[in-house]
Formats: sequence, C-alpha cells, structure tokens
Amino acid sequence: MESISYAKSEPNLDAVFAALADPTRRAILSKLAAGEASVKDIAAPFDMSQPAVSKHLRVLEEAGLVARGVDKQRRPARLKAEPMAAAADWLAEFKAFWSESFDQLDGLLDDLKRAEKKGTY
Amino acid sequence: MNAAANELPTYVLERTFDAPRDLVWRTFTEADLLARWYGPNIETVIHQLDVTPGGLWLVEMKMGERSGYQRIEYSEVKPPERLVWLQSNADADWNIAPNPMMADWPLTLLTTVTFAEENAKTNMRLTWVPHEASEAEIACFAAAVQGLDKGWAAGMAILEAMLAELQVE
Repeated sequence: MESISYAKSEPNLDAVFAALADPTRRAILSKLAAGEASVKDIAAPFDMSQPAVSKHLRVLEEAGLVARGVDKQRRPARLKAEPMAAAADWLAEFKAFWSESFDQLDGLLDDLKRAEKKGTY
Repeated sequence: MNAAANELPTYVLERTFDAPRDLVWRTFTEADLLARWYGPNIETVIHQLDVTPGGLWLVEMKMGERSGYQRIEYSEVKPPERLVWLQSNADADWNIAPNPMMADWPLTLLTTVTFAEENAKTNMRLTWVPHEASEAEIACFAAAVQGLDKGWAAGMAILEAMLAELQVE
C-alpha cells in the first residue's frame, strides 16, 4: 500500500517529458499559454502543415498537457497545467537534492576547517 | 560521425567550496563525513563504502516511513582530483531498479566529479550522462536536463501563465 500511495494520481511523467523533449511542441505550448487556439492558428507561425501540427497536438494531448474542445469545426486546443506542474516538481526535487546536499557540505567543511585549526580532528 | 558521445544529454553542476581540495576529497570518500552531507535534510545511512575502482557505495535515505536506496559503483578513483561512478536507484536488496516516479528515467547515470584547487578554494564540477541507456531513457533525461538548466525558465513562464489561467476558471 505504501509504495503506491504517492503514485496513484501522478500524471504520466514519462509522457510529459517525452512531449516536452521536442522544440516544436514547446513552441506550441508557449503559444497556447496565451489562450486557446485552432490548429490553423497554431500552424500559422510555423512552416508546417496542419496535419503535422495535429500530430504534435495528439502527443501533447496524450501526455495530458493539452485538451481539445468539442467544437467539431475548430476543435480548439488549450493548455492543461497539472502535468506540467508535476514535471516541474520532479525537476525541482532532483535539483534540490544536490543543491541542498552541497549546502550541507559547505557547513560540514566549515566545521572541519575549524576543527583542524584547533587540532581536534 | 564521431558525435555519438557528444549527442548524449549532459547535466552539469558546478560549485566552489571554500576549503582546500584534500578536505573536500575526504568529504566525498570517508563514510562518516559523506553521511553528514549527502541527502538533503534527511537521515542518510551508508551501508557500504568502498572507494576503489569496482567498489560500491550503498546508501539508504530515510524519508519518513519510506526509504530510497541508491547503488553506486566506482569506475575511476584518482585522489584528490577525479571520481567517476555509475549511479542507479536500487531496491531494498540493492538490485538496480527503475525510478519509482518515472519509468523512463535512465536506469544508470554515469557521474563524473572533478575537483580543482584555486586560491585555497575547490572548484567542483559534477556531470551526469545516461549510461547504456535506451532511446526512451535518453529522451526522458534530455527533456529533464533542459528543465534542470536555464531552459526551464521558459517552461516556468508557461507554467505560471497556465496556473494563472486555471485560477481564473
């Protein structure tokens, strides 16, 4: 029970990171951060066909980063924040592990230097 | 093409410690000192530490009810300037195990730490590269590395915009 308790509502981080690993998809997310948009709107600034954009959108949708509207003609895409927040938390933890460890090492080195001066270590 | 090795995503962490290199080296290689700093604000139990090529560092990190285990195998030891090791998550029996949070996180990361002394201070440079990793593991790590360095600033801006939007809804 313990081992699954923290994983039950986790978004699929593997899919999130795989989706974020592509510069075009990150650019699409940036565009959607300004508000929902149709495939046509999204494709406009890129030198890319609408089917190619749709393919990227599908990857983002499967990762839970994007939701598509029900309007049959436009199916506007919009951002969903939760998986991104989970990915950010993961990265923050990884980084914090090392930076906080090294903060502790700074303190330890100070202690050791003081002890060396007194000849006690 | 000779770029294969260079194409692997690499995470670099640099830090300067206000201490001579020999002392910094000891904090990386003596169990009682290592246990005092490794692992942020958690209890760290070093079950084994053999800082020689092929030797193991088995470390348990106690986080409340849960423990995290890491298995580290040294491949290069050159006092006091260079340490190379292979780092993996492990199960409680010290078998290499996937990261419980992310299946595609590289099973093993090649870690290289170098120490350079300058004006009685020590510059440390630590790098991680996926080791014998699958394409999925490399992609996962590449995306994370972009997040770990300044590239994540863009992601953070997106996230802030999204969170603001969510709060409006």
